[in-house]
Amino acid sequence: MRMLPETTMPPPSPTATGIDQAHIWAKGVSVDFSHAGQTNRVLHNIDMSIPKGGFVSLIGPSGCGKSTLLKVLAGLLQPAEGEVRVAGVSPAEAARQRRIGLVFQEATLMPWKNAIDNVKVLMEVAYKDKPKAEIADRATEMLRLVGLEKAAEKRPSQLSGGMRQRVAIARALAMDPEVLMMDEPFGALDAITREEMSEFLLEIWQRTGKTIVFVTHSIDEAVFLSREVHVMGTGPARIVETMPITLPYPRVEETYSLPGFAVASGRLRRLLKDGHGSKAAS
Amino acid sequence: MSSATVTTTNAANPANPSSAAGLTTAGRVRHAFNSILPAIILSIVVLVVWEAISRIFKLPQFVLPAPSSIGKILITRQASLSQAAWVTAEEILYGFLLSAVVGMLIAVTIARFERMGRAVYPLMVLFQNVPKIALAPLFILWFGYDLAPKILLIVVMAFFPVALNMLVGLQSADPNLVTLMRTVGASRTEILMRVQIPNSLPYLMSGIKIAITLSVIGAIVGEFAGASAGLGYMIQFASTQMETSLVFAALIQISLLGMFFYYAIEFIEWKYISWAPKL
Repeated sequence: MRMLPETTMPPPSPTATGIDQAHIWAKGVSVDFSHAGQTNRVLHNIDMSIPKGGFVSLIGPSGCGKSTLLKVLAGLLQPAEGEVRVAGVSPAEAARQRRIGLVFQEATLMPWKNAIDNVKVLMEVAYKDKPKAEIADRATEMLRLVGLEKAAEKRPSQLSGGMRQRVAIARALAMDPEVLMMDEPFGALDAITREEMSEFLLEIWQRTGKTIVFVTHSIDEAVFLSREVHVMGTGPARIVETMPITLPYPRVEETYSLPGFAVASGRLRRLLKDGHGSKAAS
Repeated sequence: MSSATVTTTNAANPANPSSAAGLTTAGRVRHAFNSILPAIILSIVVLVVWEAISRIFKLPQFVLPAPSSIGKILITRQASLSQAAWVTAEEILYGFLLSAVVGMLIAVTIARFERMGRAVYPLMVLFQNVPKIALAPLFILWFGYDLAPKILLIVVMAFFPVALNMLVGLQSADPNLVTLMRTVGASRTEILMRVQIPNSLPYLMSGIKIAITLSVIGAIVGEFAGASAGLGYMIQFASTQMETSLVFAALIQISLLGMFFYYAIEFIEWKYISWAPKL
């Protein structure tokens, strides 16, 4: 079994703009939704480039298409126009090669299975030829990684919201994907648990070196976590600006009180307002 | 699922020891007794009032027998009542099991094979609107006075709630969970087996609870239409003989039988799908 890379710090972000260096790359992506004979453009001409090992957030008001963009990147949705590459191949192909792990807002666990069996389930489907013991070992290892080895036998209903989300992350990591795509994964959690989970996720990121795409509508969460934030606006839904966050890692509780944090979140807030304002103007 | 849902799930979950935390066995028995105490008191009050009315107004026994005389019949005629109950119980059990199997098969077929589902579903709804009791004479005509027509009548009456509830359960599986399974290459059958069917079990159980009640009704109606044994037959026979006490005694026997089946199902539900929130 493959050991998880034990890097303490993620590799420095290359200024990746071309298709060659980028881990995730999109050009001119547009998505249309048809409803009752009417076609709505929900994403308009999206360009983006995410380096390997990067942590990128997509932030925007509700209805700006950030979840739709994530679905396109994950290969769950075919864009009407444009091109997307994940690890050099189409997202659908990358998903087939199990390079993409998904985490949703709800933990999406099976309530009839305990924590460890929930971590096992995707592996059991994907690797039918692998011995059961190997899958069980891997699941135990993943639960240990997310700090839940003691809760292995517990059902989802016996776990807190944060713990359930950790199980969901363990399940995604068990498949050893290169990219973790997370759609508002902490959106249903209370403020304190949210901050704990943010620190926990950074730790996981630094230990595993995964590329993470993180959808959120929380400014603080985006600034705290990301190396780069893509600010999305409405009318038409597009990326307003790509803003690098230069705060040093590891980011901990004290990071929130750094002057740089306030500056970054202030700027992000303004960008979001401008992006939202253009809807009223159009 | 919010944390509030979690708390209620745990509280409603008898398998979870924390809900009975700190209670001794004696304490638990007392707790159970206290919870059914109001029902017991109400029953006693009703029986006493009934007995009093019957005695004060000297109602003829064939109109409204007093509880005491019904009780007497329940004891003195217990042998024939038990025999009749056994016949009816057999009809209910076979009919119910068959309707559960038929209902589950229909639900799984509709969920798994879309095209077949589009053909079967409207027919099923159409059939549901046929007054099934009216079919009883037909079944008697075709299959005689034995077990078969009763089982058939129960099946046509009771498969529908099983099929419909299970279908809802199969189709209400979390779409994100289905997406996750698809991303790792799960086939439709695997998604059915690993996600949809487990997800449908609590729904199935509520359909099955409706089905068992309908099965009792189906057995009695089947016996009314034509039988030579059973509690329904006994009721009909006794009423023609003006033995109203025996009618009531048989009614009580049927109710007890129905209750036994119902709680047997609740027990199975509690034992095997304790993870599910009560629907």
